[in-house]
Amino acid sequence: MKAPSTALLRTFSPLWSAQTLPWTARGCLLARQIQVQQANSFSTSQPQLARKRQGPKKDPKITQIRYHLQHPLTPRPLRFSRNRALRHWTIHRAWQLYQYNLRRDRELELERQYNSMRYACEQLRLIDNNGLTFEERERLGVSHEEASASGGTKGKEEGRLYRIAMQKKGIWEGVPIEYARIQTETPARDGWNSSWTR
Amino acid sequence: MKAAESAARRLASGNGITRDSVYLSYRISHQQRSASTATAAAETLQNPAHDTSIPPIISTDHQKAYRLLASPLLSRPPQLTRELTSFEKSYYLYQKRLNERSALPFSRYFYYKKGTPSDVEWKRKVAARKTAARDIGVYSGYGKEAWNDEVLVGSKLGEPDSIVENLARDAEGRMITNAEPVGDKEAVDGTAIGGDARAKEGTKKELELQVERPMPRRTEADERNDLMNPNRRLDRTLYLLVKRQDGTWRFPEDRVYGRENLREATSRIIAAALGPNIHTWTVANHPVAYYGSSFKAPDMTKVPKHPDIKHSVSLELEEYGEKVFFMKGRVMAGQVDLKENQYGNREWAWLSKDEVQEKVTEEYWRAIRNSLAER
Repeated sequence: MKAPSTALLRTFSPLWSAQTLPWTARGCLLARQIQVQQANSFSTSQPQLARKRQGPKKDPKITQIRYHLQHPLTPRPLRFSRNRALRHWTIHRAWQLYQYNLRRDRELELERQYNSMRYACEQLRLIDNNGLTFEERERLGVSHEEASASGGTKGKEEGRLYRIAMQKKGIWEGVPIEYARIQTETPARDGWNSSWTR
Repeated sequence: MKAAESAARRLASGNGITRDSVYLSYRISHQQRSASTATAAAETLQNPAHDTSIPPIISTDHQKAYRLLASPLLSRPPQLTRELTSFEKSYYLYQKRLNERSALPFSRYFYYKKGTPSDVEWKRKVAARKTAARDIGVYSGYGKEAWNDEVLVGSKLGEPDSIVENLARDAEGRMITNAEPVGDKEAVDGTAIGGDARAKEGTKKELELQVERPMPRRTEADERNDLMNPNRRLDRTLYLLVKRQDGTWRFPEDRVYGRENLREATSRIIAAALGPNIHTWTVANHPVAYYGSSFKAPDMTKVPKHPDIKHSVSLELEEYGEKVFFMKGRVMAGQVDLKENQYGNREWAWLSKDEVQEKVTEEYWRAIRNSLAER
């Protein structure tokens, strides 16, 4: 069904207006209307408003905010005595040093974790289905046929687990939403959710 | 197709149901299919007369091997931010007071209409604490005493407890009487204002509201030192260790059977060791740490066929050592239940990194320490 036309209503009723802008933009609209009226009086060029000493009307809220941002007590430069300035400098340097140490510790920790991971992956790459590397097979006297007989083709079994582990397909599937929880300063009231069941 | 269906059915019927079971079953079927076809192709090349797609399994005598184990390195992520050091606490307080000296003054009429009750309340509060900030004690960034912004040694102002207390006091509308004064003069002023206000407010005592205080950072489990509760040491990462039958503490572990991969083995072990009611997530497909050791004498082991795993066969192995691959996992909710544990574990503990070191053997510790988070 077609919606009834509002053309007549728009023509005759002064109350009917299709305003889509929020009420906060009304001041702006008003100012713009004034500008347009002034500009349209007899010329298409902008009138030189400053000369006539009347700018476009401002939103009273903007006026209020500007008024309160101006304060006779600002700006307030920090003035330190000699000793205080030195003390401040020391505190500042100590803080910088502390931050540097924190950052470095974090980086080193990540590096250690990465190296551990890389080492584990390397060990995984070297072993076959029976957990033997090439050197261990040599040492224990396991022939190649014997090794491949443990359930696979020759050469295919070495590093099988590694190759599967390196697949990145679908690793972002099933990441639980609980993982998005950020750390807070104080704990939750109900604590750990130990009543969770599958 | 058949393999995919049976794998899915097995995963659904067994207790190893994980949220990525569909994904796993797809992977199993896919890998098995490709592996079996490749095997078949290779064998027909080698031996055209012997045409079968099932790989021959020869286990008449002992195979020499290393015990290949997967071990879920389960951790509970830290729930709380770390404890601030005394330097950080005092530095933050120092910066707040400096900010008070240099920031734009609080424009009262922008926030409170003149003559309203909230305006009166504001005036009452600001007269006592002299500043808009609620957690920096009695200090004004204006006037003759503005230079005196450093707190004295031993002040409790920057402590989180005192900040919480100050904020709650402000929200409750109680008078600022015990605020730490900057100098002697302020102390006299503060008590005087406090005394006046208390006299005025004596009549409306019953209207006093009690603001909810945050929970303490030390929990009940901390007080009882309950190692089995994951709700302890909330600002640290906790790792789940289980006690094995021989009395040593380790992460839960089990063999990798048949043609399963490390991730599948991990989810199977978690379900078999810790019960179904624990919400875990295995982070990656690859291991994060490795522990290898050799036995003093080769260990003759009969590994039975695992009922839940396709392509697993019973083996007789002559094991010279063990190789453990640790898979990182996170615990989100739920609790450990060792009633149906298949590995004979009877005890478990949630431990932070330093506590893990005390429990495990030196050799084991050296293998895992780099993969554990400091905090």
